[in-house]
Amino acid sequence: MLEIKGVKKIYGRDTAAVTALNDISFEVKQGDFVAIMGPSGSGKSTLLNIIGGLDVLTGGEVIFNGERIDNLDEDGLVKFRRGRISYVFQQYHLLQSLTALENVLLPLTFRGALGQEKKALELLKRVGLGKRAAHKPSQLSGGEQQRVAIARALVNDPLLTLADEPTGNMDQKTGKEILDLFRELNREGHSFIMVTHNREAADRAGEIIFLEDGRIVDRIKNRGEIND
Amino acid sequence: MRLFQVVLKDIMRRKKRVLYATVGVIIGTMTVISILTIANAGQAKIYSQLEKYGANLNIVPATKSLTTGLGDLTLGTLTIGENYISEDKVSEIQRIADYEIKNYLDIKEEGTVATIAPKLFLTGEVKGIPVMLVGIEPVPEMAIRTWWEVKDGKIFNGADQVLSGSMAAELLELKVGDTIIIKDRNLTISGILADTGSNDDYQIYLPLAALQGIYDKQGLISSIDVRALCNGCPVEIIADSINLEIPGVRAVAVKQVADTEMGMVEKVNGFMLALAGVTLLVGGFGVVNTLMTSINERIKDIGIMRAVGASRKQITIALVYEAVIIGIDGGVLGYGAGTLLAYFAGPLIFEGASISFVPVYLPVSLGLAIFIAVLATLYPALHAGKIRVADSFRSL
Repeated sequence: MLEIKGVKKIYGRDTAAVTALNDISFEVKQGDFVAIMGPSGSGKSTLLNIIGGLDVLTGGEVIFNGERIDNLDEDGLVKFRRGRISYVFQQYHLLQSLTALENVLLPLTFRGALGQEKKALELLKRVGLGKRAAHKPSQLSGGEQQRVAIARALVNDPLLTLADEPTGNMDQKTGKEILDLFRELNREGHSFIMVTHNREAADRAGEIIFLEDGRIVDRIKNRGEIND
Repeated sequence: MRLFQVVLKDIMRRKKRVLYATVGVIIGTMTVISILTIANAGQAKIYSQLEKYGANLNIVPATKSLTTGLGDLTLGTLTIGENYISEDKVSEIQRIADYEIKNYLDIKEEGTVATIAPKLFLTGEVKGIPVMLVGIEPVPEMAIRTWWEVKDGKIFNGADQVLSGSMAAELLELKVGDTIIIKDRNLTISGILADTGSNDDYQIYLPLAALQGIYDKQGLISSIDVRALCNGCPVEIIADSINLEIPGVRAVAVKQVADTEMGMVEKVNGFMLALAGVTLLVGGFGVVNTLMTSINERIKDIGIMRAVGASRKQITIALVYEAVIIGIDGGVLGYGAGTLLAYFAGPLIFEGASISFVPVYLPVSLGLAIFIAVLATLYPALHAGKIRVADSFRSL
C-alpha cells in the first residue's frame, strides 16, 4: 500500500543545512500497524508529515497504492487527504467552535458530503463517546478529545491513518485506552502508522521502526498479541 | 453541515474579534453615510437658498433696434415693434414652461409648476415727481421675489391700494395709510417694502389691473418673469420653446443663476466625497489589519481544516463568508451610526439643514461595507490559503 523509497529531507541550505531524514526506505501493507520510534529530533514527525503529504521532501519517492504522492500538486494532495489518508495529532487539533459530532463531520463538509450525521454518530459510539456528541472540545477530557479526533480520522474511510504521538499528552491509563482503541480498529482492518517516543506505546504496534539522526537503525516485528 | 455553518459557529465563538473587525467597517461606512446624508441635506438647503435668486427666465417684447443715418452719419436709433406683450400670452407661456419642466423631471401630474409673474412698467407722477409705477400680481411676484419683505403695513389686497419701495417712500414722504393721487385716482399706501438694495426700492407697486385701468393699457404687460428653478431645470429649452412658439416676445434664460447653483453644489459634493473616500481607505486598512491578525490567530484552525481535506479555495471561501457577514453587520450598523452622526454634525456644516433618514443609502452602505470587508479579506485570505499544514502546526 505504502512504499517509502530513499526519502531525504534537508532543512535550510549550504552551511546551515540540517539533514532531518537520510535515505529512509520501508513498506507498509494494508492492515499493518507500524510504530516509528526514536528520540526527539530523530526525524520521526518529519517522516510522518512527508508520508501524509503535509511536508515536501528533498529526495526520494513516496508511493501510495502505486501512485507517487510526493510530487502531487495542490489539487492532488487535497484529493489524497479526502479519503485515502487521515491524521490523529498529539494536540488533538479539534475545532473549538464545533461540537464533537460536528468535528467528526468536518472532513465530510469539505468533501461536500451532507446528511451523514448518522455515520458520524456511529463512529462516536464506536470510540465510546456516543453520549458526548453534543459536547464542545473544551468540555471533554484529553482522552475524550483524542477519541473524537480518531472518529474524525475514520469518517472518510481512509486507507491509512497517521498518528503523531497520539498518547503524548495523556496519563498512562488514558494513553493505554487510546492504544487499545487503535489495536481494536487495526484488528477490524484499519491501517495505522504511529509516531511515538514511548517504547510501551510502540510495543502495541505490529512493527517498530527505530529512527536515529534521520536514519533507520533497527526494525522489530512484534509477535502475536503479547502486548495486549 | 455546510461550510458557512462552520464559519457561523466560528464567528459565534470569536464574537469579540469579529466585532473589532466590524468596527473598522462601521467607521468607514458611517463616515461615508453621514457625509452623503449631510451633503443631501445641504444640497436641499442650497437649492432652497438659491431659489430665492428669483426669475430664471425674463420675457420681454420682441423689438429690434435699427440705426438710422445717411452714409456714415448716424442720426440715432429707432425701436421697431410692440413695446408691450399681450396679456393673453401669459397662459401660453405657463403651458410651455410647465410642459418642459414636467418633461424634464418626468412629472405626470396635472397642475402648474412654473411661477409666472407678469408686470407692467409705466412712468407716472406722484406729488409732482416722476416715479416708476409697476403693475404686479402680488402672489406670483412675492413667490419670485422671495427676498421682498413688507416693512410696514402689508401687501395690497384691493384695487385702490399700493405698495411702495423703501426709497420711494422716503423721497415722497409716504407712510402707510397715506393717500396718493395718480392721474385723478386716489390710492392708499397699504405697505412699504424693506430695503432690497436694488431698483425695486425706487418703485411704486400697484395691482396690475389697476395700473392697466389708470393708463388705459388693458390687456398689456411689459415683461414676464418665469421662475422654473428646480434641480437643473432646462431654462434654455424653455426659452427656446417660447421664442419658437410665441411670436412677438423674446425669452432670455437667466443662466447665470442656474450655473452658479450647479457649480456650488458640485463643488460641495466633490469635496465631501473626496473626504469620504479618504475615510473609507483608512477604514479599509483598519479592516485589513484586524482580519490579518485574526487570521494569524487562526492559523491552527486553518491547518486543521486543511488536514481534514479543505482545499485552499475552501479556506478562502470560508474567509470570504466571514467577510460578507462582517460587511452586512458593519453596513447596517454603519448606516445607523452614519445617519446619527449626520444628525448631530449636519447642522454644524449647513446651518439649519434638516437631516433625515435616507433609505436609499442603506443598500449603498451595505454594498460599500461588504465591498470593503471582502476587499480587506482578499490579501489575508490569499495568505491563509498558502499556509502549509505542517507549518501551521509547527508554529504552535
